[in-house]
Amino acid sequence: MLKLAWRNIWRNKGRSVITIAAVMFCVIFAVVLRSFQVGVWENMIHEIVGNNFGYLQIHEDGFWADQSLDRTMDLGAVNSEELLAVDGVDRLIPRMESFSLLYHGSNTKGSLVMGIDPAVELPGLQLDDILLEGRSFSRDDSVIVVSEGLAKYFNVGLGDTLLFMGQGYHGATAYGAFPIGGIARMTNPELNKQLVLMPFQKAQYMYNCTDRATTLVVAVDKDSDYEAVGAALKGSGVEGLEVLEWKELFPEIIQTIEVDMAGGRIFVTILYFIISFVLLGTVIMMVAERQREFGILVSIGMKKTKLAFVTLLENIMLIMGGAIVGMAVVKPVQFYFKYNPIDLSGQMKEAIEQYNFEPKLYTTTSFIINLNHGTIIFIIGVLVSLYAVVKIMKLNPIESMRS
Amino acid sequence: MSKAVIEVSGLHKVYEGAVPVKAVNGIDLTITEGEFTALKGPSGCGKTTLLNLLGGLDQPTSGSILIDGTDITALSDNELIDFRLHNIGFVFQAYNLIPVLSATENVSFIMLLQDRPKEERLVRAEQLLKAVGLEGKEDKRPGQLSGGQQQRVAVARALASKPKFVLADEPTANLDSESTSKLLDIMEQLNAQENMTFVFATHDDRVIAKAKRVVSISDGKVISDTAK
Repeated sequence: MLKLAWRNIWRNKGRSVITIAAVMFCVIFAVVLRSFQVGVWENMIHEIVGNNFGYLQIHEDGFWADQSLDRTMDLGAVNSEELLAVDGVDRLIPRMESFSLLYHGSNTKGSLVMGIDPAVELPGLQLDDILLEGRSFSRDDSVIVVSEGLAKYFNVGLGDTLLFMGQGYHGATAYGAFPIGGIARMTNPELNKQLVLMPFQKAQYMYNCTDRATTLVVAVDKDSDYEAVGAALKGSGVEGLEVLEWKELFPEIIQTIEVDMAGGRIFVTILYFIISFVLLGTVIMMVAERQREFGILVSIGMKKTKLAFVTLLENIMLIMGGAIVGMAVVKPVQFYFKYNPIDLSGQMKEAIEQYNFEPKLYTTTSFIINLNHGTIIFIIGVLVSLYAVVKIMKLNPIESMRS
Repeated sequence: MSKAVIEVSGLHKVYEGAVPVKAVNGIDLTITEGEFTALKGPSGCGKTTLLNLLGGLDQPTSGSILIDGTDITALSDNELIDFRLHNIGFVFQAYNLIPVLSATENVSFIMLLQDRPKEERLVRAEQLLKAVGLEGKEDKRPGQLSGGQQQRVAVARALASKPKFVLADEPTANLDSESTSKLLDIMEQLNAQENMTFVFATHDDRVIAKAKRVVSISDGKVISDTAK
């Protein structure tokens, strides 16, 4: 039966090639589309969350909802040893984050001030990697690093001084004057417009938060799952502290991803409808072409179930062939655009930047996408092939032989 | 006395429509083992309908058809398919071989459906192809054979399942004189040597001349039944 099915595939090469090609291109198109969509988000999450904010953060309980310096945590009271003992925790990164009004000359601008220790920071805040000019600083240095956009706004350069004014711990005023030691380019466009990086201890001092921090970013081991680490941390007796995953920290990102993914799903669904009709067309063509032969086979004693099985087997082989080829052929494309993303320009770039996303289109190389779409299209193909099965089961041999 | 292979009584087939057509109108017929019978008559007289009824391809409006004692009108669709597989050989006007299979594979295909062992299938297919004069053409596909050769493969296929009888609907209609003569000689030989029962629906005089019994049909009725 397998031999018969295999030979039947090649009796009408044109039809077989159309079927294989239709399935293959549908898989390629769906996979490319979804790979870009998922790839862009993966990259954005990796850049913004993984490299800048961290997948897990620890705060004083209630800090994230209020974001007041009055809810900073006392580092002396945090049992760091217990937290570091949790499986998958690599290190804890203290940060002092707040907002200040910045002055230079007659210009002012509200900015995000982040007190960091570059020696232990995440890759996105490794100053040596992001500096456009100037130098890095140590934990207790006296210079600051400003983002490229901020430097442009104030029209300042290395050695110029920025004045800070804001509110510190328990209503204390937070003043400071710091020389610019470096100008950095942040991958996140929004941060690139307003971020000031300051030595951790200087930020503590300016905001009157000695021995305190707003945030402990949890750096997770490379091979560990942050969700499992987060669950372990929550259960490790962090009394008075909150452990939040990035999805809880930035729910708007999840919502945006869901909206975008829904749009992609609609597009792919339309594609599935198109491929369904293309495949149905080839199956109808095949049934019409072989109506007489089906009648003869049933006449000479071939059971309809067996004939339907052979016909289904033919279609399964064709569709599976197309799906496998499609899944394989698209793989190099996914790898290419993962490492050579498409740079957006013009209005599209501006539109993307408005949402604080990097204006580059990356792909994901996750094979799950290929497998999902290959499987979905295969199932569609099998369902469409049931048309032939139904026709065979209803077949009248005399009428078929007359056709 | 030879055993009856086909016993038909009171057979009617009416095609319903605006004007009902009585394609078979009260036929009684008995065909015994080893007969070489031709059903003759003009186009539309009902001979193909009768053949389809005898082959279990169509259901009569009324009447009974006993094949080797089994009333095939009482069988379900699936039982009929199985019955045809083991009891009836078919030869069609347009050969109707499976185009993607070789001559040997076409002949052995029906034995495959009968779940016979591969060895047996190949040996019998080879024997039958030799018997119909197609030695050396075993690996040819239908498209590589002439019309006469294809019809001989069809005869070999019809015999492969070791049927009780062979129904042949206008088997020579698409053949030239030489191929017709060769085919008829082969079938006559198989009839004589293996006592195989053949029933033809035909209006080809050459077939009628070879038949040992000629049943004339007109307007769905048997008008004469002559044994030579």
